[in-house]
Amino acid sequence: MKRWWHRYFRTPGELEAMGVVGINMRNARFVLPNNPRRLYDLVDNKIRTKLLAERQGISVPETFGVVRSPKEIRRLDRILGERDSFVVKPARGSGGKGILVISGRDEDRYIKPSGSVVSPDEVRFHLQNIIAGLFSLGGKRDVALIEDRVKPAKVMTELSFQGAPDVRVVIFRGYPVMAMLRASTRESDGRSNLHQGALGIGVDIATGRTVHAIHHGRPVTVHPDLKVPLIGVQLPEWDRILEIAVTCQQMTGLGYLGVDMMIDEERGPIMIEVNARPGLAIQLANGVGLLKRLVPTDARARQIPDEELREKIRFSRNTFAARMQEV
Amino acid sequence: MASRIKLLALVSLLALVGGGVAAYKNVVLGIPLIVDERPSEWLVEAKVSFVAVGDPVTARLALPGVAIDRELGIDARSAGYSFIVEDTLDEYAALWASDSKEGPQSLYYRVRFPQRGVDSGGPRLEPGDVPVPGDPGLSGTLRSAAESVVRRAKELSSNPDTLLAGVFREITAIEGSQEIALLKRHYEEVSNSDALTLLGIDLLNMAGVPARQAYAVQLNEIRGSQKPSLFVEYFDGVYWKVRDPDQPASTLDPRELFVWNRGGDALLEVSGGENSQVAFTTTRDIIPMEKLTDLKDSGLLVSTIFGLPASERQVFRYVVLIPIGAFVVVILRNLIGIATLGTFMPVLLALALLEMDLKSGLTMFVVIVASGLWFRFLLSRLNLLVVPRVAACVVIVTLLMMLLSVVSWHLGMRDGLKITLFPMIILAWTIERMSLIWEEEGKRNALLQVAGSLVVAVIAYLFMELKQIRYWAFYFPELLLVLLAGIILVGRYTGYRLSELIRFKNFEEAV
Repeated sequence: MKRWWHRYFRTPGELEAMGVVGINMRNARFVLPNNPRRLYDLVDNKIRTKLLAERQGISVPETFGVVRSPKEIRRLDRILGERDSFVVKPARGSGGKGILVISGRDEDRYIKPSGSVVSPDEVRFHLQNIIAGLFSLGGKRDVALIEDRVKPAKVMTELSFQGAPDVRVVIFRGYPVMAMLRASTRESDGRSNLHQGALGIGVDIATGRTVHAIHHGRPVTVHPDLKVPLIGVQLPEWDRILEIAVTCQQMTGLGYLGVDMMIDEERGPIMIEVNARPGLAIQLANGVGLLKRLVPTDARARQIPDEELREKIRFSRNTFAARMQEV
Repeated sequence: MASRIKLLALVSLLALVGGGVAAYKNVVLGIPLIVDERPSEWLVEAKVSFVAVGDPVTARLALPGVAIDRELGIDARSAGYSFIVEDTLDEYAALWASDSKEGPQSLYYRVRFPQRGVDSGGPRLEPGDVPVPGDPGLSGTLRSAAESVVRRAKELSSNPDTLLAGVFREITAIEGSQEIALLKRHYEEVSNSDALTLLGIDLLNMAGVPARQAYAVQLNEIRGSQKPSLFVEYFDGVYWKVRDPDQPASTLDPRELFVWNRGGDALLEVSGGENSQVAFTTTRDIIPMEKLTDLKDSGLLVSTIFGLPASERQVFRYVVLIPIGAFVVVILRNLIGIATLGTFMPVLLALALLEMDLKSGLTMFVVIVASGLWFRFLLSRLNLLVVPRVAACVVIVTLLMMLLSVVSWHLGMRDGLKITLFPMIILAWTIERMSLIWEEEGKRNALLQVAGSLVVAVIAYLFMELKQIRYWAFYFPELLLVLLAGIILVGRYTGYRLSELIRFKNFEEAV
């Protein structure tokens, strides 16, 4: 039922009835008890995460090189060789800060996906900033990672204004609980940050089909710039996506995490990063309160400890299927 | 659940300790809880007056032992007299002396003590040998009358305390016995007003209980100038105790009575003067906090601003306010959900605002951050490394501040000069972080976060500026433990933040 105050706010009672999880609750009930501090470095340091994932047979973007000190910046040309598309990112960056994507080359200069041009000096400066710790948590010295740029599958690029959407799956105690796509718009300028106007598209855990979408917190059904329908799109290789997400949970040992992936044209789902404090916008994107899935998951994990990986996926797909919501 | 109980136990322990110490300081030490209430103390003034006849003068006033022992606030005003305090076997006396004086003379002696009084009439050990009861030197019929009264009283009592009560009951009975009437007449020849008390003291001595005179003052402002009341001091076998002959069965209430002189010495002796007398006035005196005698004595002095040398107090003033600011930040971030640039930057900003007034502080902040941001964008073209870039920003911020100070001074705004405390390094970092957010997340987010920081800083400032809160922080720092308990409780709050009620306003369950 629509109430007059829904234009301005929701009451705590209403949010609670819908099972919406707030930041305080996420931290106190899910992040703090399930994610021991010592495991954070595994996911905060992308070099370690990638290494772990490769050992598990998970595809990750190919690492071209690592720049550890200002001296090593000179090696940039040797690292890049003739490659004309790559990504520079801080190993310990948070919230997508400090990521530089280069999609092409024009003689000596580099071209960003947006079409703007970057000089090699600017790339070196960016590397210096990363190493000085400008983008890392607490401003600690950091390491810069230069890796291959994913060539996104066509199904994905069609949903996004520039670039490609990434897939996030939230895992709790080894069970996939919720998933979404983040697609950029003209407004978000190629970024997939929902605060800046990117789209959040909820994905059905059971089928991998998009079921719900939001723009600035409001439900939408078509892309505001591309006018393509956002609902009912089938993601490729959904089984593999869930498998990667659950494997990431196993290899890191974190109890509550978000796994970010992209889908490469040739290589399929590729793990980009793991987040130990996944955000709450995924609830809006799915139109489902996280608590409604976290509570049954917790009960299941208590009831059957150490369930088989495949069984966990099967449980989630059966229990959290979008169709079930309709009943 | 167990952790919940532990948490509650910890929180209530902190609140109890903090609140308990504060309550003790309020009730026992007399520090008021409300900011404009001034602490008060009893001030008892003895005024010795006599008429000097032109010979050398000495005046000797017995003094309250407790006052000397506990170093209660004491002063004596006596122009033209030499003054010393004489000490014999735990008994003290003030001695004034002068070569020659003529005409009416007044000498003063003052004692200060806390509002709740001092136990001036309480049990005291005999410093010398075990005292022996004196002999009143009665003879004939008087003696036998006295002996029969003593016998009757002794039959009904079991110890010196009940004996004292019994003796005075006999004396003050309305339908007194023949013996008492006889004795009364004899004593009234000596002293009219205090006859009964003197009689009681003699009877106690005859009954084998050493007893002597004591003088007490009523703690009552309305009475004005008063004569000292004659009380009885007696030895119960172990201690000397003082009792009011009108209420022989009960101990003295230190809130109502102050025993000025015990030990049996004469209260006042004057030579070289005539018509000598001593009168007392008791007043409740409002005094500055740091002079509170009990606070000075107490170990809890360290728990107030007075525990520090005066030169350090100025800094301390700000230090104790920082937790208040931190608490405000906790509330605004975790319960309200305002995003800020850096967690505790607003607290530092609030501290800076305390130094100036709000308006010029905010203007200063906005001008410095805006122009600093502009310089920062110029600097970014030079491709500097991070630390040198921030350092460059510090230099620019400093120059801007000097410029602003000079300009505002010439415009007649003196507040500009007080900005030395403005946290320059923090400002430089704020500019740096803001420019990053500007580039990474857009100017809307950057401005929102700066605005959020300003709002939090102003709210924190308003709290830290409150007189009552500053007062508590200075004089009841233990209340910070209660604040800590509050912070711990907020730390366990898992409900929605106010901002989330708005963030999720369009939440619709997918169908």
